[in-house]
Amino acid sequence: MLPMTVGLIPFGIVCGVGAISVGASPVSALAMSMIIFSGAAQIIATQLLAAGAPFAVVVLSCFVVSLRFLMYSAALAPYLKPVNHRWRNLIAFLLTDQAFASSIRRFRESPDLRGSVSYFVGGGVVLWAAWQIATIAGIVAGAVIPASWQLEFVVPLCFLALLAPLLHERAALIVFVTSAVAAIALDAMPMRLSMICAGMAGIAAGVIADRMSGRGATAESEPGN
Amino acid sequence: MSSPTGCRGAARPRRANLEISQLLIWALIFVVGAINFAARLSFIALFARREMPPLLARALRHVPAAMLTAIVVPAIVFAAPGVLRLDIGNIKLIAALIAGIVAWRWRNTMLTIAVGMVSLWLLQRFVS
Repeated sequence: MLPMTVGLIPFGIVCGVGAISVGASPVSALAMSMIIFSGAAQIIATQLLAAGAPFAVVVLSCFVVSLRFLMYSAALAPYLKPVNHRWRNLIAFLLTDQAFASSIRRFRESPDLRGSVSYFVGGGVVLWAAWQIATIAGIVAGAVIPASWQLEFVVPLCFLALLAPLLHERAALIVFVTSAVAAIALDAMPMRLSMICAGMAGIAAGVIADRMSGRGATAESEPGN
Repeated sequence: MSSPTGCRGAARPRRANLEISQLLIWALIFVVGAINFAARLSFIALFARREMPPLLARALRHVPAAMLTAIVVPAIVFAAPGVLRLDIGNIKLIAALIAGIVAWRWRNTMLTIAVGMVSLWLLQRFVS
């Protein structure tokens, strides 16, 4: 899980910088990382807040982004049936793109469930701690780095780093083109609803593309982020 | 952020005129935190005995690509709120294309960010 932890650090820093820049106090900026513990949701929340989107739209956008966790949750569920509910809660809290990506194979292939759970929880705790440290670094950095550095450009770059590798797959390419065109065409929509609508258009295009190529039922694909 | 329609770049306002109440931020932390936890726990605990409907499974598979695109593209192609720039004069677009190729080829977050930022700084310096 170490490379995953390293990859998380710039993302966490950006979350700290972003929260501070929209006017969150250092305490609430850190609380955001401790409680939400999801880079995508945190960055979207701060960006939309900065853009003056209404509370409900911010929440709805974060909800759409968190839908991918349903996919991870469903993929892990069959292996976690013998685990008691306290551990399940902990596993759910620590479930991230990185934790899922680095442990799903182990759950699938190893007969040692206890070992797999330990691996997941141990790695998850390390990721969580690294996330807090990176956020604190961001909270500090946000106050000192000059605006001319254009540090906010790290946000799209973080997402691009996750997005581009997905595009090796044809269906994802169709999703990308649809979402991109929709995001540009719908940009003038009120209340920053364009993000949700463009996302939904992309998802719909992906489902249609699957249907036309006669594939798609297998849910356990590459984790995105 | 000067305009209500712009959401490019979280770091822009720099504690500017925008006063977002702390209460709103705390409310958001708990509501979004609860939603995230519920989504993570969903099938592990609540629907453990239920199969996911196949259409939902198929749709969820496309969530990452669709949402990432919806976040990234507007941040890159608009020079200012409502000002679409798809030409080579848009240095963010060029830097993002370079970074995108690096990400596609090497699948490395740190490398992508480094190449993207350095490209932006160089373009800023020598082009505009």
